[in-house]
Amino acid sequence: MPSRRTFLQLTGLSAASVTLGISAPATADATPARPIPDGAFALGVASGDPRPDGFVLWTRLAPTPLATDGHGGMPAVDVPVQYEVAEDSGFRHVVRRGLAIASPELAHAVHPQVAGLRPGREYFYRFRVGTQLSPVGRTKTLPTYGDQFTFATASCQAWYHGYFAAHRDIARRAPDAVFFLGDYIYEYGIVAGDNLWRAGVAVGPEHGVEIETLEQYRLRYSLFKTDPDLQAAHAVAPWFMVWDDHEVQNNYGAANSLYGVPPELFVHRRAVAYRAYYENAPLALDSLPQGPDSRVYRRYDIGSLARVHLLDTRQYRDPLPVDEADRVSEQRTIMGAEQEAWLYDGLRSSRASWNIVAGGVVLTAVTDDRTEQWDGYPANRRRVLEAMGGAGTSVMLTGDIHRHVASELQLDERTVGVELVCSSVGSNGDGTDTDTYAKDWLQHPNIKLYNARRGYVHSTMTRTELTTEFVNFPYIQADANAQPNILARFRTPVADPRLEAL
Amino acid sequence: MRRPPAITGLHGSGGIRIVTLDWKPVSWATVVDHYAVYADGALIGKTVYPHFVHRGLGFTGVTRSYSVVTVDAAGNRSAESAAAAVANLTSVTISGTPVATVGTFDGKGSELALSPKGYAQYPTRFPADVDYTYGTSTPAADWSYLLPGPADKWAGSKNHRATFRFDLPAVPEQDLDLALWLIDSHASLAASALLTVNGVEVGRLAFANGATKGSTIADSTYPGSPLKPSYLEQPLPRTLFRPGANVLELFKDVGSWIAYDALGLFARS
Repeated sequence: MPSRRTFLQLTGLSAASVTLGISAPATADATPARPIPDGAFALGVASGDPRPDGFVLWTRLAPTPLATDGHGGMPAVDVPVQYEVAEDSGFRHVVRRGLAIASPELAHAVHPQVAGLRPGREYFYRFRVGTQLSPVGRTKTLPTYGDQFTFATASCQAWYHGYFAAHRDIARRAPDAVFFLGDYIYEYGIVAGDNLWRAGVAVGPEHGVEIETLEQYRLRYSLFKTDPDLQAAHAVAPWFMVWDDHEVQNNYGAANSLYGVPPELFVHRRAVAYRAYYENAPLALDSLPQGPDSRVYRRYDIGSLARVHLLDTRQYRDPLPVDEADRVSEQRTIMGAEQEAWLYDGLRSSRASWNIVAGGVVLTAVTDDRTEQWDGYPANRRRVLEAMGGAGTSVMLTGDIHRHVASELQLDERTVGVELVCSSVGSNGDGTDTDTYAKDWLQHPNIKLYNARRGYVHSTMTRTELTTEFVNFPYIQADANAQPNILARFRTPVADPRLEAL
Repeated sequence: MRRPPAITGLHGSGGIRIVTLDWKPVSWATVVDHYAVYADGALIGKTVYPHFVHRGLGFTGVTRSYSVVTVDAAGNRSAESAAAAVANLTSVTISGTPVATVGTFDGKGSELALSPKGYAQYPTRFPADVDYTYGTSTPAADWSYLLPGPADKWAGSKNHRATFRFDLPAVPEQDLDLALWLIDSHASLAASALLTVNGVEVGRLAFANGATKGSTIADSTYPGSPLKPSYLEQPLPRTLFRPGANVLELFKDVGSWIAYDALGLFARS
């Protein structure tokens, strides 16, 4: 049997894109062969992978989102899904209409790729299946020049640890894009009286075990995606999505599990986890997994304002160091040789004022024992900082640690950019302003902020400066109504990168 | 609906209370949701791996017919794979006759010293480690519920030994069987211990990783118990033994603790 890649080459994208929920044959009937149960859009809508002329749209039909087989209560048949893109929220000026086939192979997710639009402007979209209309989503194409770009960064949304006030506030502010920096789901069992801290909710026993099969990963995405504030944040802007470990398993790296699953077995777990990630994210077809592999590192140009590099620091990383000599070895890589070359090429050839580099784990040097993040790969970090130093000012966006941290990125005595680490949306619950880890971070003069409450980061980038707000919330466990608190604001001049407190 | 392919090469091996199954997975051309595993026609579990351990079986060997169904990403189900007949092993605690034991083989460690959570007192109660004489010593006073290892700070971060002394009237006519049952062990550092009989190194006993709960909970048998029990049984050549005083030693020189259910030597009947 030919591999899927060969299949794509043989049949061409158009045929493949039908089976993969991107388009439909010209002759396809837009009416489902039989009625689809009400509430088909219970998981909301999303857009992502923005380009100057388009973006990827996403929805996944799931009238019973928490059906335990992971298929969302959909019949096991192909279903036509219509979409339309308009210049206005009332859909008076529709500029694109299309049809995609939602199939059970992809849990009835569709990923229409919209092209040929105008750069740097707002669009609205919605889906229709049978007589059901989806909520309306807002999105934006990337500009071709770019005077100003606003973006939110968020990560680590352990649904069971609290409500998503951060997403509610991101939706209110309607930035030009959202960067989500990993731990979109968590694989752990969710158990009342143990880790279920989100007040007033209960989950069935099917959620109480560590997920392993595709149906369990699909169900976990469904559970998290039922959150209305997460849906609102998806519906307000295109998302740039980066993954970290919990989309598969805590602290995994490459084919290595820390929980005793041998690599030749673990790749099967990675395959279903990557599959479910693709199904539930507004990703372009390039990121469709092939067996246990998925290419998710990718690049975008926000005009000549900024070049965006999204990293994958999980799939290609070397194992945890066996000793100090191994840790500091020049050969060690968290990115893999191919991705490293790709990043350095992308930085070298960039003519943009800024480079936004988004990854799953913290780049800044903290302590030598934080080997799960870039502290475990100092040679790779140095190569990245050197490449950053030869390009426009860099803004590193990361998450993972459930803390707000602002850091100046230093290469020898020089500051080559800043790192904005966003706290978690949900993970670790309410939190406190400071904690026992604070001293590890604040011992470094280049680290300007540390805070252990939940929140997100909002940035406004112009051709001369970056203004960043760290937003947190007094609580998240009791309900979704906590009010945002602007914890800190920093200004970073493009010509003299630093964190200037405002 | 297109049926995905069935797996091939299903085979298994029996252990105490478990059967371990392995097979050749379908190719990556099929996007697998999971493999559904059946024993005598009943679903016993789902896994994404080409590997499954059937747990919770009895202590007496029973042959079961196992088969696997591939479920693909669309929910389509393959035909059943070819079946494999596999038996779990009969424990020597069932088939043999006890010669010398400490503790009862019942899934609980509560009859042992310091159980259920007195590990912090180990250094003061057993400053020279455990030295137990069958027939004279008593489990509740003289056999610590945990055997610590060098990874355990609470036990001094050093190697530890458990010495088990017993008399035999004569060299046994057949090989004896060692049964070492654990109610639990450390979740990642169970590691191994060196086994010595009458001064002869027999080899290393490799322990299954447990749940790191048996240091505070003594019972692995109640519904929902978080403990992960495991069972080691192996023959010991009759030539190791001698008439009169014999001594068996466990030397924990790697990793962390194990939590005993019971230990014993059994004669074949």
